[in-house]
Amino acid sequence: MKGFRKYAFVTTAATYLLIFIGGLVRVSGAGLGCPDWPKCFGRWIPPTSVDQLPSDIDPSRFNFVLAWIEYFNRLCGMAVGLLILILAIWAVRKYRHYPKILWGSLLALVLVILEGIQGGVLIRMELEPLAVTVHTVLALIIVSILVYVTLNAYYIEKPPEKTSVYLKRTDIWIAIAWWVSVAQIFLGTQIRASIEIIAERYPLLSELEWLAKVGGTKHLHITLGFLLFGMTLYFGNNIIKKSKLPSSLAILGAWGMIILISAQIVVGLVLLFIGIPPLMQVFHLWLASLYIGLALMTYSAVRNTKGSEIG
Amino acid sequence: MDKQVPKKLWIIIPIITFLAIVAFLVIEKANQSRSNLPTYGEVPDFAFKDSQGKQFGRDELLGKISIIDFFFTSCRGPCPVMSSNMAELYQAFSTSDQVQLVSISVDPEVDTPEVLNQYAEAHGVTDNRWRFLRADLAAVIKLSEKGFHLAAENLPSMHSTKFILVDENAEIRGYYSGTDEASMKILISDVRQLVKKIE
Repeated sequence: MKGFRKYAFVTTAATYLLIFIGGLVRVSGAGLGCPDWPKCFGRWIPPTSVDQLPSDIDPSRFNFVLAWIEYFNRLCGMAVGLLILILAIWAVRKYRHYPKILWGSLLALVLVILEGIQGGVLIRMELEPLAVTVHTVLALIIVSILVYVTLNAYYIEKPPEKTSVYLKRTDIWIAIAWWVSVAQIFLGTQIRASIEIIAERYPLLSELEWLAKVGGTKHLHITLGFLLFGMTLYFGNNIIKKSKLPSSLAILGAWGMIILISAQIVVGLVLLFIGIPPLMQVFHLWLASLYIGLALMTYSAVRNTKGSEIG
Repeated sequence: MDKQVPKKLWIIIPIITFLAIVAFLVIEKANQSRSNLPTYGEVPDFAFKDSQGKQFGRDELLGKISIIDFFFTSCRGPCPVMSSNMAELYQAFSTSDQVQLVSISVDPEVDTPEVLNQYAEAHGVTDNRWRFLRADLAAVIKLSEKGFHLAAENLPSMHSTKFILVDENAEIRGYYSGTDEASMKILISDVRQLVKKIE
């Protein structure tokens, strides 16, 4: 089991890295770096000069750097797809009696294939904002399933003992935090879509001027962000300081979530006041995706080790 | 039970630092690749008139970012799409008078100043940010072929469908398919780069 658990962890980590690269493609404006799919300018390996372009493509659309950024994303997508394929084969051959692992791995495989195809649709739709949101959400679902599979592999290896004592409703608070963070990711993608629409209408305004034109969604996102920060500190503190014999996984998750949400607040404020720098945009979504993975892990750890409740 | 920050978590610091550096370099490289617009030569002198009867030549290109196309008002082919794209650009750049649009008629006999003015009005033009030019056909052909390196045979129907981006020094910086949505997005982003530089 150890081998499988480690492999599932590596697959999850690789998927997180891919989410980061995907975000990077987005903010560097390389999404249409290859205007076609699955090939890039009609070639399996992107062209290195304008002379290699097919005649039906406008040469002004070719940018060597952007084409290779997008192509690298596709290569990494293929690699993660293969990792998940091996995971699923491994699960079918060795862990078919563990439905959570078996079905989790198979579902991840189906979704990662869908994600690849949807990536092609996304390019055909010329990065239509809703299609971009679907691409992001699918990636988050896939990585969440992988976290789930990894956790279950861990539990088989080290069956959880119900000896921990947590404060009442700790697990419920984590579940609420998970939902709020999912809503936050959705609101964040909406803000990004609004900025894009505004930028298209007023391409010559500065980033801060675009941001100023984003309506109520922005304020809701900020308010919920601080709420989530407070919530995470509250249940994090409960797990770390007030519980008795908490599981090491729960402690790890609680610290991780506190660090992530703190970083997230700082990044959010930088976005707001320094005019949405691209580097911070990538981290904002990526830290959020790590947060929901950790929330899932912490919730599961608390639920599985909870012997009784106090307070 | 150890309630300090678990040691395992510290590994994220070098990982995040590494990712941040790589991401920063990639974003910089992407930005550079966009702002390094090539130069395709200078626009030569020309002396046309706009639909208001005012002189319009190379001097009118200086100090502004210009998007130039060739068209004719009675064209049923690609021109309606091109002009609708031009109209969208006209709206998009409404916040700045540093960007101007210039449409040059390749059918000067039919496209009299009155016809051009009507055409402008039909496309929502209310100020000088979008000018419609006319001149002798020979001069138009010369500017298209010698100035912008665009074929101008069998006019009016076979005019180029490219939009030409010209910077504040009257240097040609790019050609874009005037009928392609994605090319328009690249054009807008290139204009944004050029405007940022002169501001």
